[in-house]
Amino acid sequence: MSVKRFTKMEYACADDMTFGRAIKPVSYGFGLKIGAGKVIPEINYAPRPGTEKDPAKLRKEYVDYITKDILDRAITVGFPDVQLETEWVSQMNQEKLSAPVVSGQKAMCEKYHEEYGLNCGVRQTIPDQREADHGLRPGHDKNHAYPEKLFECAEIACENGADNLSCETVGGKEFADYAVTNGDIVAFLFGVGYLGTVDMTYVWSEFANIAKKHKCVAGGDTNCSGANVAMFMAGGMQDNDVQRTFSAVTRSISAARTLAAWESGAIGPDKDCGYEGPIVKAIAGMPTAQEGKNCQCAHCDLQGNLIAQCCDLWSNESVEYHPEFGGTSVQCWFGSIGYEAALMNTALQMKQEKTLRDLYMFADRTRGPEAYVLAYDHAYEIGKAIAAEGNHLYNRALGAGLTGAKIILKGYETKELALTNKQLDTLKDIIKKFEALPKEESKFVEYAVKEFSGLVPNFNMKNYDL
Amino acid sequence: MLSTNGADFSVVVKRYDVEGQVIATPEEMAKKMLPKDEVFKKVAEEVLYMRFKTVGPVVMDALKHRNPLDVINNGLVAGMEVVAKLYAEHVYYLPEIMMAAKTMEIGIAIAEKQVPGGRETKGTVVMHAAEGDPHDIGKNIAAVMVRSSGYTVIDMGRDVPVAEFVDKVVEVKPLFASGTALMTTTMSAFPAEAKMLVHKGMKTPLMGCGGAVNRDYANSYDLGIYSEKAPQTPIIAEKIRKGYDWKKVREEWDSIIGGQ
Repeated sequence: MSVKRFTKMEYACADDMTFGRAIKPVSYGFGLKIGAGKVIPEINYAPRPGTEKDPAKLRKEYVDYITKDILDRAITVGFPDVQLETEWVSQMNQEKLSAPVVSGQKAMCEKYHEEYGLNCGVRQTIPDQREADHGLRPGHDKNHAYPEKLFECAEIACENGADNLSCETVGGKEFADYAVTNGDIVAFLFGVGYLGTVDMTYVWSEFANIAKKHKCVAGGDTNCSGANVAMFMAGGMQDNDVQRTFSAVTRSISAARTLAAWESGAIGPDKDCGYEGPIVKAIAGMPTAQEGKNCQCAHCDLQGNLIAQCCDLWSNESVEYHPEFGGTSVQCWFGSIGYEAALMNTALQMKQEKTLRDLYMFADRTRGPEAYVLAYDHAYEIGKAIAAEGNHLYNRALGAGLTGAKIILKGYETKELALTNKQLDTLKDIIKKFEALPKEESKFVEYAVKEFSGLVPNFNMKNYDL
Repeated sequence: MLSTNGADFSVVVKRYDVEGQVIATPEEMAKKMLPKDEVFKKVAEEVLYMRFKTVGPVVMDALKHRNPLDVINNGLVAGMEVVAKLYAEHVYYLPEIMMAAKTMEIGIAIAEKQVPGGRETKGTVVMHAAEGDPHDIGKNIAAVMVRSSGYTVIDMGRDVPVAEFVDKVVEVKPLFASGTALMTTTMSAFPAEAKMLVHKGMKTPLMGCGGAVNRDYANSYDLGIYSEKAPQTPIIAEKIRKGYDWKKVREEWDSIIGGQ
C-alpha cells in the first residue's frame, strides 16, 4: 500500500466540522455507515479476570454474554446502530483464543441484523505487545516474537470476520515513558512525533494490505501509549503530577503521528481513546471515534462534553463485564452512550448540530489546557500546521506542538484560559525549547540521537529501520 | 460558532487547580528543612535543585570533610527528603522527583565507594510489571520512590513471567515484593505468583498495584497487600521493616496510609 501524506486540509474551515458527518464516510459490517449523517455508539468491554485462561470460557464471555447482552439491549431500548469493540487481551495473540471470539461475534451480529435489522459490526483491536528492548521489527525479538505476533493477530482478526481492524501501536513508547516522567518535551517530539510516525507508517502499510486482502476495513490508531499516558498522569485538577500544559502539547504532537495510519491505507474510523481525533479529522476528513463523559467507567475526563463536538462514533472506552443494578455493565454503559448518540442524531435531524456542537465545546473549553487545544477551532489550526509540513515528519510534529503551545499561551494572555504558575512556566519552557531546535530534520535527528543515546532506556534506532 | 456574550462560564467550571495552587517557591519552602551543617546543606541543595551535572564534584568535596555514610544520609538522603516534602505539598511534581532521585543516586554511587564493606540499605525489594503487561511507568515511579527512601530495589522490568518472578523472590528473600498491572487480565498474575510463593513456604508480602488493581483485588489472595499510589509504597515499606506481616498491613492499611 503506497503512503500518501496529507499536505492540505480536507475541511475548508473549522466550522464545517460537526459530529456524525465526515467528508469521507466509511461503510462496513452489517449496515454500519460511519460519518454518513449519524453518530454511532461504540461499546467497549473487558472480560472478567480468569476467563482468558481457557478458550471456551473466553469465547463464551465475549460472545454468549457480552455480545448478546449488548445486542439485546439495543433492541430493548430501540437503538438502530451499534459498533462493538473487542480490545484483545494479551493472551489473544494465540489463535485458539482469538479466532472463536472473532467468528462468534461476527455470527451473532449477522443474526441480529437479519432478525431485527440492527446495524452492527465489531471493531477488532489487536494487541501491540512489542517491546523496544527486545526489538520492534520481525526477526528482532528472540524472546517472545512479539513483532511477528502483531501481524499474525491482524491476519487472524481479518480472516475470522473483523469488520474494522484497529490497533494502538507502541512505536516511540520508550521515549514517551521517559518524556512523561521526566517532563522532557523534546524527547516526546522525537520519540512520538518522529520515530512513532516512522513506526506507524511501517505497521499500517502492512495492516492495510492484510485488511484489503480479507475485505476488512482498516480503521486506525491512536497515541494511547504516549499522549494518553501524559493525560492520565496529569490527572484532574488536584493532581498535576505532569503539568497539563505539557499533556496538551503531547496531544498536539501525537496528532501528527496518528495521521500516519490513514496515510498508509487505513480509512477510519480511528480509535476512541484518540483525543487527537478532532485534529486528524480536520486534516483528513475521515470519521473518528471519541470518548468523554460516558467513559467514566474507565477514567476521569476534563473534556467530557467538548470532545463530542465532531465525533462519528461515541464510545465508553472500556468497562469490565459484571452485573450492575440496571443490567450488565455493558448494557448500562451502552445505554449511556446510546442515548448520547441519540441526542446528537436528533440535533442532526433537526439541523441543530452546530448549536449542540458549540454547546458541547463551550461546556469544557476553559476546563484546562487539554480541552482548550482540542476545541474544534483550535484543533483545526493545529491540523493546518501539520498539513503545511505534511511530507516532513519532524517539521509537522514540531509545527503541531508549537502551534498547540502558542494557542494555549494566547488563551492565557487574552484571559480566556486560566493557568497555574507552574503550568505557565512549563508552557513557556516548551515554547523556548521548540524554538531553539534545528529547523532541518537531518540536523534534529542527529541532535536527538546524540542527546538521548544512553539517556532514554532501550533507545535503538534499528527499531525504526534507521 | 455560537456567541458567548453574556455567558458566565465561572458557573460552569471552577478551576480548583488555579485557585488552590501553592505559590511559595521551592527555595522558600526548603529554607527551614535543609540541614544546618554547611557541608551537608551544600550536598542536599544539589539534590533539591536537581544539579545532576555538578553533584559529583560537590560530593567529592564533602567527602574530604565528612565521612561517606554521613554524606549519604545527612546530605543526599536529607536533600531527597526535602524533595519528597515539596512533592507532597504540590510545589514539586513528578519530573522534579525523577530528576532529584537521579541526582541523589549519582551522589550515592560516588560516596558508597568509600564506605568500607559497602552501604547497608533498609532492605531489598523486588519489583516488576506483570506477565503480559508492557506498561511499567507506575512501577518505575514507585521504584524511584522506594529507592529514594533507602531501600535496594531489584527491578525485573515489565512483562515478567510468573515463574521467573517467583524464582527471584525465593532467591532474594526480599522485605516485600511488588507488581503492577494496567489490565484486568494481566493482574491475575499476582494471585498465581502468591499461590506459588505460599507453596514454596514464603511469607513475603506481595504488593499488587497499577491501574487495573484495586484494594479488594489485592486483598483477595494470601500475601496480597495494596498500594494505591507510588508515594504510599515507602510508607507501607517502613511498616513492614518494623515487623508488620501482610495480614497486619491489610488490617491497618487505612491508618498506615491515612491522609495520603
